[in-house]
Amino acid sequence: MKNKIAFWIITLISVILVVYISVITVIQPVFTKNTLPRAIARNLEIKDKGTKGDKDKVTKPEQNNSGDDSISASDGAGTTPNENVNKLIELRRKEILLRSRLSLANEDSTYLILDLINNTAVLELKGIPLHECKILHSEISNSFRSYSKDALLNWMSEPFILKNVEATIPKISFIEKIAPKDTLEANKMVTEPKETKLEDVFIVMDFDRNLRLVISQSELPDPEGKKIISNLRNRYHKIEISRTVKALTKFNREPVKPQIEIVIPKSDATILYKALPLYPRMILRL
Amino acid sequence: MEIEQKQNRGFLHVVKWIIPILLLSLSVCVILYNPDFQDSAFKMKSTFSTPAPYEGKSADVIEKLILKSTRNITIIEDKLNLLKPVKPYIVVNTTENRFSLRTINGDTIRTGVCSTGKNELLIAGNKRIIFKTPKGIFTVRNKQQNRPWIKPDWAFIEDGLPIPSARSAERIDYSTLGDYALEIGNGYMLHGTLYQRFLGLPVTHGCVRLGDKDLEVIYNTLSKGSKVYIY
Repeated sequence: MKNKIAFWIITLISVILVVYISVITVIQPVFTKNTLPRAIARNLEIKDKGTKGDKDKVTKPEQNNSGDDSISASDGAGTTPNENVNKLIELRRKEILLRSRLSLANEDSTYLILDLINNTAVLELKGIPLHECKILHSEISNSFRSYSKDALLNWMSEPFILKNVEATIPKISFIEKIAPKDTLEANKMVTEPKETKLEDVFIVMDFDRNLRLVISQSELPDPEGKKIISNLRNRYHKIEISRTVKALTKFNREPVKPQIEIVIPKSDATILYKALPLYPRMILRL
Repeated sequence: MEIEQKQNRGFLHVVKWIIPILLLSLSVCVILYNPDFQDSAFKMKSTFSTPAPYEGKSADVIEKLILKSTRNITIIEDKLNLLKPVKPYIVVNTTENRFSLRTINGDTIRTGVCSTGKNELLIAGNKRIIFKTPKGIFTVRNKQQNRPWIKPDWAFIEDGLPIPSARSAERIDYSTLGDYALEIGNGYMLHGTLYQRFLGLPVTHGCVRLGDKDLEVIYNTLSKGSKVYIY
């Protein structure tokens, strides 16, 4: 009898859980229509000092299918050939990239351009590429694949701002030295500079609009580095699990957190991390 | 016979329990071990509710948008070109201690090793002096050959020597900076070095030290107003 009751209780819990997961993963998203966080469009009108012609006025990109240039079904007759649509999407992608580059080039900070089409990560300052590295491998979350190109373009239309970063290497490290009292002590303190070994690199960068960028090194880490990297990875994994569980207990869903993981050589990862300012901006090209 | 029946019942009993336990563990696995759990939710959403972009729209409108986008691209490219340096420039990588001399088109003229700031904090009583190369964009303010180095206070503190008066002759050093020096502001310079063997290592007090041959080429290529990018 006891066994029977236990059986039915467990079956009931299982069924409730399955229904709950179905609701969370399938039914709720369909009805709530949660979208990727949209970029907050700043004033992107580019005005030329001295010239006020139409020629130099760059119009704002379409944030969605509404607005002055929205495309409605009543516009003209017939359907658009696919090539033109693709061409338009490509042009918009390029326009967004250039627009973001221009807005950041007008500032004095170094910024990162993550181009997953050409598989490059470029460090730029004032529109000048300072350092370019090849992305050897990249992984993106499923959410990217499931969104329409238009939704993604809107999401990427503004540079991302770094909110939080954790890395296995320090951004700046200083060696403290107490000034010698006399020349004798100074002579004792003189040491031959040595080439420093690069530490193993693993970086987790959380940007606004919920984007997470993970940078891993292509080289195999040494045992100590491996431990540090796996600790950091596990910590983030635990945070994600607790986030999901918390959301589930509240019968709520956290906003989607798209993740990009790139693998680049250790030296490049170190350069990128050390060269970028504390809260850098990033342009994403997908 | 009875034993066989008991065995069958035991088997059925086990099978009966397998289904809920499997369901339970499956649910837990989905929640805990699927990192794309949130993402998969969105997959369903977008499959059902996001329309394909520009689907069923007029060709005229699309062409109009293409023209507009093309025009915008040209304008932005022009604006970006205006930001490009008008003179050859140098890019210094402080992490690898390397430099790259480039033309206005961005083509590399020369690359090589250099020495940048040693990232050291010198503590002298209440004074704290940081030896690091600043990052950012700088402009060549002055070019000089055989420029003497006017030693600042830290040079004496570091050597354990008493600090002389501001105009003391002890402060003048004719050999340290090498044949050429290019000032980039705030006392920072691109200059030569007596310690050629340390090139490629972070050993300086903030300036960028270069090898003799590299420095000569840089001196002859860059002029007053040339840009220096340090990252």
